[in-house]
Amino acid sequence: MIDYPFKEGARTALPIVFGYLPVGMAFGVLARKAGLSTFEAGGMSLLVYAGASQFIAVEMISRGALWLPIVLTTFFLNLRHLLMSSSLSLYFNESRFRILGLLSAQLTDESFAVAMSDSSKIVNRPTYLLGLQMTAQLAWIGGTVGGTLFGGMIDHQSYGIPFALPSLFICLLLLQIRKAHHLYLTAIAGILSIFFKWVFPGSWYIILTALFASGIGMLIHPKTSQEGEGKEQKSET
Amino acid sequence: MRLEIFLLILGMGLVTFLPRFLPMALLSRWVIPERMKMGLEGFPISILSAIVFPILFFDGEGKMGIQLPYLISAIPVFFFAWKVKSLWGSVILGMIVYGGLGYVF
Repeated sequence: MIDYPFKEGARTALPIVFGYLPVGMAFGVLARKAGLSTFEAGGMSLLVYAGASQFIAVEMISRGALWLPIVLTTFFLNLRHLLMSSSLSLYFNESRFRILGLLSAQLTDESFAVAMSDSSKIVNRPTYLLGLQMTAQLAWIGGTVGGTLFGGMIDHQSYGIPFALPSLFICLLLLQIRKAHHLYLTAIAGILSIFFKWVFPGSWYIILTALFASGIGMLIHPKTSQEGEGKEQKSET
Repeated sequence: MRLEIFLLILGMGLVTFLPRFLPMALLSRWVIPERMKMGLEGFPISILSAIVFPILFFDGEGKMGIQLPYLISAIPVFFFAWKVKSLWGSVILGMIVYGGLGYVF
């Protein structure tokens, strides 16, 4: 059988495209309102490519913030990628640095989650992940540019658009739940995330939840209590 | 492009790139201990839970409170995603339900 990993990855990214186009357009509209040109907004989507921090940056620019607070906020907001990048590293121990650089530059919450929803497909197949991520970023840049050009015509609160990305995340979460202890982990992480978001400002809650919940998850993992069960998972990685 | 905006974008790009790149570059060359792998295995579920649940219980400004339209829309999406496991289907169903609720509320 002929293998077309890039194409396969690109096709897997289509649900993300659905989510990114309207959100990218919303970003384009706000960037325009904050005084950025089409080129500047598009450049940000090309070189930064991080949804939440781009929205916050544009908000801060429109309030006349200096560059340092914007860059620092971006830094802390995107620290959560440390964890995703660590997870992905397990699958690419045969790839060159150049490829890893390209792959990691396009790492987002959504592409990571979609890629991990079937991790057997990404084991040492950087081209598959590349196709997935290229397609996703293209939608993000396309949405941004489209939004700066003719964003005024569409109402982003209608057509159920605000619930597109949440739906995607819900499905991605459920795809990850395959065993009983995954369900416990979901419940623990859900409660922790609400607590952390309530207590801490900004987006610290994501990284805090991930650290605490997976720490607890390590303790309730069946491998730590019973030896035999872990074997099937070993073959995955 | 204005120089100040260009530099801002470069700065943001750099601090975004490093946490994305460094673990992949360094960890992919290490042999990771079995225990740490178990921890890493829990990250996707933890992160996804941390993204999904606060959406249902906080408004856009970060104030706590049940987001009824989101919560109601989430229920059919949960069941659909659980049974059918289709990303596309979940997104479209979620948009239809949420969009439809706009006429009710």
